[in-house]
Amino acid sequence: MKQTVTRNGVGAWTTRKYDHEKAVGTLAFTDDLRFGPELLHARAFRSTKAHAEIVSIDVSEAMKVKGVVKVVVGENFVHRFGLYLHDRTPLAVGKVRYVGEPVALVVAETEEAAEEGMLKVTAKYRDLPPVFDPIKAATDNSVLVHPELETYEHVPFITPFPGTNIANWFRIRRGDVEKAFAESKYVVEEAVNCPQIAHGFLEPHCCICKEELSTGNLTIWSTAQSAFALREIIATGLGYPLAKIRVIAPPIGGGFGGKAGMTVEALCLAGAMDPDIKGRPVKLYIPREEVMLTSWVRQAYIAKIKLGIDADGKITAIKNNFYFDTGISAEYGANPVRSAGYSSTGCYYIPNVWTDSYAVYTNKPFGGAYRGFGLPELMGAMEVVIDIAARKIGMDPIEFRLKNMLRTGLPTCTGMPMNAHSLDTIVEKIVDRMKLKEKEPAKRKGWVRGKGFALALKAPAMPADASSSAIVKILGDGGVEVLAATMDMGQGAYTAYAQIASEELGIPIEKIRCYYPDTQSHPYDWQTVASRSCWSMGMAVKRAATDAREKLLALYAEFWQTDPETITIEHGIVKCKAKGKAEPIDVQVQNGFFMPSGKFVGGPIIGSGTFVPPDVVNPDPETGQSPKSVVHFTVGAVGVDVEVDPATGAVEVNKVSAGYDIGKAVSPMNVRGQIEGGTVQGISAGLMEAMYYDEHGKLLTPDFTDYKIATSMDVPGEVDAFWEETPEELSPYGNRGVAEHSMISPAPAINNALFDALGIRIHTYPTGRERVYKAIQEKKRGETDIWEYPYALEQSYKNAVKEWK
Amino acid sequence: MKRDVNFILNGRPVTLSVEPRTTLLRALREYGVTSVKRGCEEGECGTCTLVIDDLAQKSCMVLALEVEGKSVLTVEGLVAPNGDLHPLQQAFVEEGAIQCGFCTPGMIMTAYAFLRKNPDPTEAEVREALAGNLCRCTGYIPIFRAVMKAAKTMRELGSHPGAAR
Ligand code: FES
Ligand code: FES
Repeated sequence: MKQTVTRNGVGAWTTRKYDHEKAVGTLAFTDDLRFGPELLHARAFRSTKAHAEIVSIDVSEAMKVKGVVKVVVGENFVHRFGLYLHDRTPLAVGKVRYVGEPVALVVAETEEAAEEGMLKVTAKYRDLPPVFDPIKAATDNSVLVHPELETYEHVPFITPFPGTNIANWFRIRRGDVEKAFAESKYVVEEAVNCPQIAHGFLEPHCCICKEELSTGNLTIWSTAQSAFALREIIATGLGYPLAKIRVIAPPIGGGFGGKAGMTVEALCLAGAMDPDIKGRPVKLYIPREEVMLTSWVRQAYIAKIKLGIDADGKITAIKNNFYFDTGISAEYGANPVRSAGYSSTGCYYIPNVWTDSYAVYTNKPFGGAYRGFGLPELMGAMEVVIDIAARKIGMDPIEFRLKNMLRTGLPTCTGMPMNAHSLDTIVEKIVDRMKLKEKEPAKRKGWVRGKGFALALKAPAMPADASSSAIVKILGDGGVEVLAATMDMGQGAYTAYAQIASEELGIPIEKIRCYYPDTQSHPYDWQTVASRSCWSMGMAVKRAATDAREKLLALYAEFWQTDPETITIEHGIVKCKAKGKAEPIDVQVQNGFFMPSGKFVGGPIIGSGTFVPPDVVNPDPETGQSPKSVVHFTVGAVGVDVEVDPATGAVEVNKVSAGYDIGKAVSPMNVRGQIEGGTVQGISAGLMEAMYYDEHGKLLTPDFTDYKIATSMDVPGEVDAFWEETPEELSPYGNRGVAEHSMISPAPAINNALFDALGIRIHTYPTGRERVYKAIQEKKRGETDIWEYPYALEQSYKNAVKEWK
Repeated sequence: MKRDVNFILNGRPVTLSVEPRTTLLRALREYGVTSVKRGCEEGECGTCTLVIDDLAQKSCMVLALEVEGKSVLTVEGLVAPNGDLHPLQQAFVEEGAIQCGFCTPGMIMTAYAFLRKNPDPTEAEVREALAGNLCRCTGYIPIFRAVMKAAKTMRELGSHPGAAR
């Protein structure tokens, strides 16, 4: 029997925690915290060279600026940091590796003085040849971005190749692809490329660090998605015990992966731990135009995919070559490369698989985690290639997808059986709602209209042993506090946890509070990434709430002299029908119950819960095979309807329909928010986003003037967000993640729609106005494909693809 | 050299002492009004938006000295004296128009100034009015819903709360 009753439990539409404070502007973000006049401010002096030895750095003029306290250079703070591979120093040591790399940190009494000081630092360099093209960097070792690669520590599940620019090489080898290609009726080989893109969160990174003078203890307030991972990375890099570091993570203004792991904190520590500074708090606020130069962005990629298809339209073999341009650091970026690799048959069952997925160093700002984590990259290519293949063999692209679909129980590319899902229902709904099989005339005069479709899939990409824990406290007035170190950066984690606690405790959601992470008070959680929180931390919160409930029921049972099973908690009232009792939870749950035995029993009720995925096995390094490579996959699909103005190349999205099988919507308001928000972010990425560089490697698009993201004017006329609920077995309520998934496939769906509208295939993202205009002109010249790759002279698609055989 | 600037902040007269080069954004944040967010300080993102004499302005693009004698309204100032949320704030909460909340104060202030001028807008007009305020989280869709809903509530109330300021 269910012993709890509540209105806003799991599955209820309810308003969100902390939205009230956000609406009135009183929620304090990191930049809003005040530290008094002792606070110092830091600003980075940055490299103007893409690759060079540092001959000298002159800080003498900077030190003369009123208010400048110290200028720290790389030699003052030589520590390597990294989540998966320790290849990053916060300040350049000996060499600069990209334009914009921090070379010195000016610390001053005011932000203005730090800026002035920064302008007065000078450096002399001896040029080294840079490498910007990831294909060249991967295949020609004449320029090495990290000649010291051999000496870097890394986790066992990544494979760097010292003596090359390859920071990670992930492989899948299954069956015999060459034999299958030879026996195939059709062989289709196509390529897609995409530049780096940026998270575009509206709150720039901000961090305050303080070293306690006498104890050396560190306190870090930061815009961090993952307080505990940050603490661990810092502790490892410094050789500090964990307990000497306290990380406080105030609310953050958007993350999308860009504030995961460790981002700017070590740079701030270079100031705060300086012998001349320690004892005073140092604040590092990253100005907007330096955000993309200070922390990671999404990796650029070139993907080549070869499919073998039999006479029935069944895909029999796939050969993948993925080059991820990871810039100068792969400390985080090594893993999206792996994530794309172990999902590299997409939403399809393909018996013979060969995948090489590489993280390649180049002299550019670096790549790392970004919503989707390797999967928007994979699907951006795969769903386009599938579309091309279907058309080449004369099959409807949707029928082709359904025919080859990775149905429940079939092996994924790593060999694990696919979990339960209803992707075919989702496909059916989208085909129907978007009238995907009908040609419709354009709504705008003189424009052309097209429709496109793409599937999506993603598993949480994390180490096999990523764990979570939570504490649930019942207060003396029946209120509840949940300590769960997930960062609620807008995705709504605390609302979901409050709903879980309400469900398990029968206490109204209004009485439940969740607090932002602080490593000093909260129990451990690995990271707020991978769309894992409502699942992994959800397990921990559910277990903690259940633990608290059982303790509470046991106490009331003893107090009322009955069995715990006869007691219910309804809207915060503890009831026992048999005994005719109904009492609101009161101070006894804090101070103890005076039992019929004449003794006090109990004391504060604290529930605890922990979770670690029990059965994940890292893929075999040679073959990529594993009985269970990931915890589960969430699947979905996107249909889009676009119109193009042939005169200008302008693209308008009329409508999008996006559906995902999320197992169970714990917090529907947030599920809808994640699908709507991610869909628009995906459209923005597909249509307008790219980081561009000049020939010396200087970023040309550092801020929102040049790096365009979707505004309210770019939102499609209609966005249909929906979900299916095929429960996941090992899950708090059957739920699976969805936060990243919505970003994965809008871009390829648009690409396919543009082909439908224009009859020419665009192989390069973004597919915005300029490129679409070019495509229209190329089509008039008889071209069937367009390919633009910034590092090659040869821009003919056919020749470019031939070149890398 | 610092100079004084006198203005009305959320209905109360204040005097701030500022450098001539200090922006209104930095001056207000320094003073303790941190609902105005600095997302870029380059006039690109809209997170610093507030209302000066009925006009939505990006406070990173205004020098503090420029508001001498004017009335400045930030999102804190929309809350009724009894603590009730303004219909716009309420609608943002109810419609899921807030995720991280970093764009929210600026977004609400733009919508506030817009609805004062156009109390019965079409959704297309709302989209256009919000075009200078970026939001990376929500995809704007719930924000459109919230502004339309707030407009309706305010028309039904027959008043525009906060107008007295
Ligand atoms: S901070 Fe003013 S517009 Fe971005
Ligand atoms: S809610 Fe995060 S930017 Fe709008």
